Amino acid sequence: MTHVFQCEDTLTGMMTGVYDAWDSRLGHQKVRLTTAQNIDREFFCEYVWVKPDLTKAEKVLRTVRERLGEEAYEMIAYAASYPDERKADAIYRMIVLGLSLPVGRQISGMLTQPDVQLVFELKRKAWHIAHRYLGFVRFRELRTGVLLSEIDAEADVLALIAPHFTDRLPMENWVIYDRGRQKAAVHPLGKGFFILEEVKEEEFFGICNSKKEECFEALWKTFHRAIGIEERTNTRLQGSLLPGKYRRFMNEFSTEKTYA
Amino acid sequence: MGAWVGQQMDLQRKLEILADAAKYDVACTSSGVDRGNGKKGMGNCIAPGICHSFSSDGRCLSLLKILFTNECVFDCKYCINRRSNDVPRASFTPQEVCDLVIGFYRRNYIEGLFLSSGILRSPDVTMELLYQTLYKLRREYDFQGYIHVKAIPGADARLIEKTGYLADRMSVNLELPTAEGLQALAPQKKREKMLAPIQQVQKGCTQNKQELMLYRHAPKFVPAGQSTQMIIGATGENDWQILKVAEHMYRRYELKRVFYSAFLRVNEDSLLPVLPGGPPLLREHRLYQADWLLRFYGFGAEELLTEDKPDFNLLLDPKCDWALRHLERFPVEVMKADYHTLLRVPGIGYRSAQRIVKARRLGTLDYQNLKKMGVVLKRAVYFITCGGKQMYPVKLKEDYILRNLLDGKEKLPGGAKKEVSYRQLTLFDDPRFSV
Repeated sequence: MTHVFQCEDTLTGMMTGVYDAWDSRLGHQKVRLTTAQNIDREFFCEYVWVKPDLTKAEKVLRTVRERLGEEAYEMIAYAASYPDERKADAIYRMIVLGLSLPVGRQISGMLTQPDVQLVFELKRKAWHIAHRYLGFVRFRELRTGVLLSEIDAEADVLALIAPHFTDRLPMENWVIYDRGRQKAAVHPLGKGFFILEEVKEEEFFGICNSKKEECFEALWKTFHRAIGIEERTNTRLQGSLLPGKYRRFMNEFSTEKTYA
Repeated sequence: MGAWVGQQMDLQRKLEILADAAKYDVACTSSGVDRGNGKKGMGNCIAPGICHSFSSDGRCLSLLKILFTNECVFDCKYCINRRSNDVPRASFTPQEVCDLVIGFYRRNYIEGLFLSSGILRSPDVTMELLYQTLYKLRREYDFQGYIHVKAIPGADARLIEKTGYLADRMSVNLELPTAEGLQALAPQKKREKMLAPIQQVQKGCTQNKQELMLYRHAPKFVPAGQSTQMIIGATGENDWQILKVAEHMYRRYELKRVFYSAFLRVNEDSLLPVLPGGPPLLREHRLYQADWLLRFYGFGAEELLTEDKPDFNLLLDPKCDWALRHLERFPVEVMKADYHTLLRVPGIGYRSAQRIVKARRLGTLDYQNLKKMGVVLKRAVYFITCGGKQMYPVKLKEDYILRNLLDGKEKLPGGAKKEVSYRQLTLFDDPRFSV
């Protein structure tokens, strides 16, 4: 009989799943992890709902960091943010395999193992998305001086990109809002960032822009237009490097003014 | 506030003119420095650089690329800003540049500043203005973002040095690959004069490295190194000459990057060539590919091209081209070949080579693994064996491989494809040799 551990689709959720699955002492072959919420139930399976638990997750993450190394830790954190139903199980198998090795740190290079390979692949995808957002996030200044940005990311990159902006703009109040997940990374001036969940759009979008905002937006559009070389126009290349889904929140591509 | 908004109209026009004038500069990279913020001011840098947008020509926009002024005392034939051209002129003030940079940077539009300039009155005056701008930005605004600035040839060495301590990258454009070309199209500029600041910056960087070893917090001098740029196709140099110059710049002057810019005929001038197919974009593309081979793959210019075969095959990338001429070295066994041999296989990049070396220590690889690691099997399949086996039986014959490589769906920019579709293929298929 296989036990399926259903985890919440967050790093904490999955790490708790890893803890519980291991702790159940059923044997690694007899447990499975999933993050899917609506699954087709199978015969001869028992389904266990895993309640996210920060203490358990931290224990697992600490072990991963100490025994499997920083690289494996990063791989797992990035892979966990990518939407793929196989990820929880692959991460579990990778940790199990890694802890059985005499030198745990080698796990991040074992790309011949299908589970490690999958985690690696997901990490690569998530990293690309996160790296793109480092550049494509657009802040606008509100009347209150707060910088507000909106994204709609495929992977849950908020926690991956927020440290970068914390380092970059330490003396600003800023917010990055993930529309699809209704989460926001909030950074108060001079402090660290934190993540708010279940944030409604209206909470941020009622405030109007500062007076300078329109000028800078116009300046940026002017620059963006002027810097392209007409004789070399290549919109297909532009399209493949900057696909349409990212352009929604980038003001240089908005034809009409979206905010008053 | 009202006055500020009023000035904006003026600033808008200036930005339009000076961004337009700067667009022919290629370098827009923000890579090479890792610098945290340190909890004050604004900005940081990360080593791989960040692209913030892409312009309509598909080039990455990372830095606010502007000229300080487009007024110029020189009259270079190829340049839109030459003295004899009737174009609208404008100049920024240091304050205006700072306002733009800070305003854009806060909104995450840009990664930093790329500041170039026409020569206003004299090189010294211009360099001084660039220095003042950078000083204001770094010291008054505490800006820690990326700054790429031009060293103006002929400017006082002390000014260049002072500026170097504020910038991340400095560059001097060679403009044309050879001194003869420069003589023909930009007679007021001298090759030796251009190399002088490059040498100075190189020396400064070397000294600075030693200082940093002794004193960890010594100020950094041009930490991201220097770059240069050459115009391709304005004068008659062949690819071999260009690549030799690039290699020389990397070895002798330790440059970080050499950029190539396909010639655009922006001025009407009898000395400038008319290129019927538009700017030689595909040639530029092949040069960039070769440039990567020089920097990361351990190739030498002599291996890729020779005096008898001085131009790249436009239909094939330089690495495939090289491999086809050296079939005696293939196939390579992926499980055994050393890193440097793997690097020379078409379809294996330096990252996938690293992954292969790491992974094969811990297990046996198969073709599926290779694919997942990022090896482009479409090209690599002719040149490798994995566990002693080929992926499927392929002949190690020059024309067979060439035919199959060209048959693939690799998109060739610049219309090179249609030239081949009705002709018998030979190894020497090169559109430029056609009658």
